[in-house]
Amino acid sequence: MATDLIQMKGIAKSYGPVTALDGVDFAVRENEIVGLLGDNGAGKSTLIKILSGTVPATRGDIFVRGKKVQIRNTTDAIALGIETIHQDSALVTQLSIARNLFLGREPTIGPRFLNRMDKRKMNEVAGTLLKEIGIKKDIPATTPVSYLSGGERQAVSIARALHFDSDLIVLDEPTNNLGVEETQGVLRFMRRARDTGHSLIFIAHNIHHVFQVVDRIVVLRRGKVVAEDVDPKQTTIEAVEELITGMAIA
Amino acid sequence: MNSTVRPGSSLVRQLTSTPEFLPFTLVVVLVVTFATLTPNFLSLGNISNLLAFTPELGMIALGMTVLMTSGEFDLSVGSVFGFTPVLMWTLFNQGVMPLEFALVVSLIVAVGIGFVNGWFVTRLRIPSFLVTLGMMMTVRGIALYTTSGFPQRTWRAESWLMDLVVGDFYIGGFRLYASLFWFIGFALVLGYIMTQSKFGNWIQAAGGNPVSARARGVRVSMTKTWLFMLTSFLAAYAGITSSIRVAAANPNSGTGYELEVIAMVVIGGTALAGGRGTILGTVLGVFMLRMMRNGIVLIGVPGLAYNIFIGVTILTMMALQSYLARRHPTGGG
Repeated sequence: MATDLIQMKGIAKSYGPVTALDGVDFAVRENEIVGLLGDNGAGKSTLIKILSGTVPATRGDIFVRGKKVQIRNTTDAIALGIETIHQDSALVTQLSIARNLFLGREPTIGPRFLNRMDKRKMNEVAGTLLKEIGIKKDIPATTPVSYLSGGERQAVSIARALHFDSDLIVLDEPTNNLGVEETQGVLRFMRRARDTGHSLIFIAHNIHHVFQVVDRIVVLRRGKVVAEDVDPKQTTIEAVEELITGMAIA
Repeated sequence: MNSTVRPGSSLVRQLTSTPEFLPFTLVVVLVVTFATLTPNFLSLGNISNLLAFTPELGMIALGMTVLMTSGEFDLSVGSVFGFTPVLMWTLFNQGVMPLEFALVVSLIVAVGIGFVNGWFVTRLRIPSFLVTLGMMMTVRGIALYTTSGFPQRTWRAESWLMDLVVGDFYIGGFRLYASLFWFIGFALVLGYIMTQSKFGNWIQAAGGNPVSARARGVRVSMTKTWLFMLTSFLAAYAGITSSIRVAAANPNSGTGYELEVIAMVVIGGTALAGGRGTILGTVLGVFMLRMMRNGIVLIGVPGLAYNIFIGVTILTMMALQSYLARRHPTGGG
């Protein structure tokens, strides 16, 4: 068997006396979309925060392609090819689309001490990306993100992850607050990302959305993995709901 | 995407959507009004007078603009404005070091004050209001205590440095100070940083959405700390300029400047909450408030009444700015 893209082993996290994660093993293979499910407080966000470098784990190891790594902050995670797109907060709404796409990795031009952004390149690349992700309306790349709808914003975030060739894109509730059509757009986009060689983790409360797009479902309950290889094609939504809540729904 | 309006539908829209539109219009209105009411307003003597003092507050406002764009502000600028020249002239008058060194040392101390502000805000996560309020009192206290409240004399010094900072010269009958060119220079550099540089993008992102900026790998704390240092530096430099021009370093000078400067910056179109800032707007805001003070006195409004005018203008401007900001969220090319 090939090495997994990401492997988290024995991850534990406590906030004071509260145990959020209790020895979780979690893996993402190359080219797959993993649905991470669980009720509120099951530990999904904590697990993702550890992977994206926003909180440190109390115990446990993380491996990227079989190599043990230390993720101390978001910069570390990004350098390892892990992009996390948080719901609502991924973009700076005051900045333009192009400035958001390149935030933190702005290309520069001219002598180094001038620190000058290559705006022409930024706007060009952003324009192409906007077309690629299927925003049909003619939006200039210099438009502030505050003008965009929720679905368009998610699309911009995902486009950013694709452009910078992240191996793993973590989507935290990307379909929250989106309309039906916008949701379909985001799901289509996720499939395209997988088909072009990326892996994705999809966290959502809406199991229907998850079922439409993922290759595998992992279920967390009270800080533990209760199922890690659920094939959405061979199970039902009810069965997964049962796993999430831990009780049979009559 | 349902009812949102796209920008650029007409020239008028574009004009009114730039944050500098309002302050620019008001500057024009003020000039016309005062010039009509009193011919003295546009006299060479009065303009020269305006241009002597305005750069000093203006330099502080420039620093405050970038700092506020990053989502923080600094109440200690007035105290740094008063303290730094006191330190510089004390070092010189006591014969500790020549004026050139005294200038460098006192500017370094000021930058250090900014660093401490930044450290408290970013590392200890205390709001900048509280940190810089404490710093404002501490620094002012040191200036007052070390001088026992007396101004430091500056007239014994005769140096090329003083001419470089704020030397005066005449163009025809028109008296100008070198400080004006420093102000213009600082404005150009900061304008470039804000709109063209990578660091400028970080400044706006830090103020607009620090959580996502950090998630993109933007070093938000470092950015803010640099800006606190820059703001202190400019306030200190402005204070030194002022002490040379008026030939005294008064430990009390700069009292109340912090609020006047914040008013100038916000009137210019920079968002109090961060994420959006304009250097050009601040330059306009600075001239607007200074011209109001000057013009109101010239047309004979009793001195004690002019704060009423300033206050009402500030309130009106804020209301208009917030109305325009709601109509046109801005992005920056």
